[in-house]
Amino acid sequence: MSDILFYCLASILVIFSLMAVSLPNLLHGAISLIGSFFVTAALYIMLQLEFVALSQIMLYIGGIVIFMLIIILLTTGLGDDDSKNRISMRQRFTRFSIAAVFLYVVLSFVDKTQSPVLQSIGKPASPVTMDDIGIRLLSPKNGFLVPFEVISILLLVALVGAVIIARKDKNAGEQA
Amino acid sequence: MTLYHCIILSLILCAVGIFGVLTRRNLIGILLSVEVILNGANINFAAFAHFKAADPTAGAIFPIFVMAVSACEMAVALAIIISMYRRKRRLDVHHLEELNG
Repeated sequence: MSDILFYCLASILVIFSLMAVSLPNLLHGAISLIGSFFVTAALYIMLQLEFVALSQIMLYIGGIVIFMLIIILLTTGLGDDDSKNRISMRQRFTRFSIAAVFLYVVLSFVDKTQSPVLQSIGKPASPVTMDDIGIRLLSPKNGFLVPFEVISILLLVALVGAVIIARKDKNAGEQA
Repeated sequence: MTLYHCIILSLILCAVGIFGVLTRRNLIGILLSVEVILNGANINFAAFAHFKAADPTAGAIFPIFVMAVSACEMAVALAIIISMYRRKRRLDVHHLEELNG
């Protein structure tokens, strides 16, 4: 049962990701990215990581993809990717084969090193509750307190930097 | 559903993202493909945390850090893309060659 569900979700995820990277209209690509993130959240719930699934939905779908949609709508009309600017079929095939060779090499490496670590089913870990995550995130010893604070400073710096970069500078703006 | 399946899935997602980075010509499209790669990496973290980790909580925390850094990246990318669009009126990477030597 869980196997069939996993295969269904995985194939839907791969199809959505392929659509996201290859649809000519960027708006459609971003919307299929939303679909792939929802399927990923379902996979996290299958892996018993509910908090990660929730933050995937809130952060990725509610934040990052909305950001992306705003950029697309601000810069390219209704997402009309210029189809005349697309790369030719031959180049496309070359790049596809680069990605396929990458996939094949890493896959054969994973296949060849038949380590028992990868194959054994093992005991699935006990589910991670939100309490665990919160306590672990803020506990001073053996916790993630320092990365947590560094991330908050990083978010602040990125916010200020984004405002400064995007601000219209009055001196040099009009010459291009 | 074993660890092996999850690793294969995240590998496929990584390859799909690399294909997208190589074929897209729009800056926003490249960012979108990078998100697909990060998604594959997050699935890997979650799978190892579920199946193998002695300490699954740490494995659940790492994808959250990845998401936060990715949000920072998108904010800065929004700013860069908007200022570049204001100067150039286009976002095709084949035409953005000012730093060409």
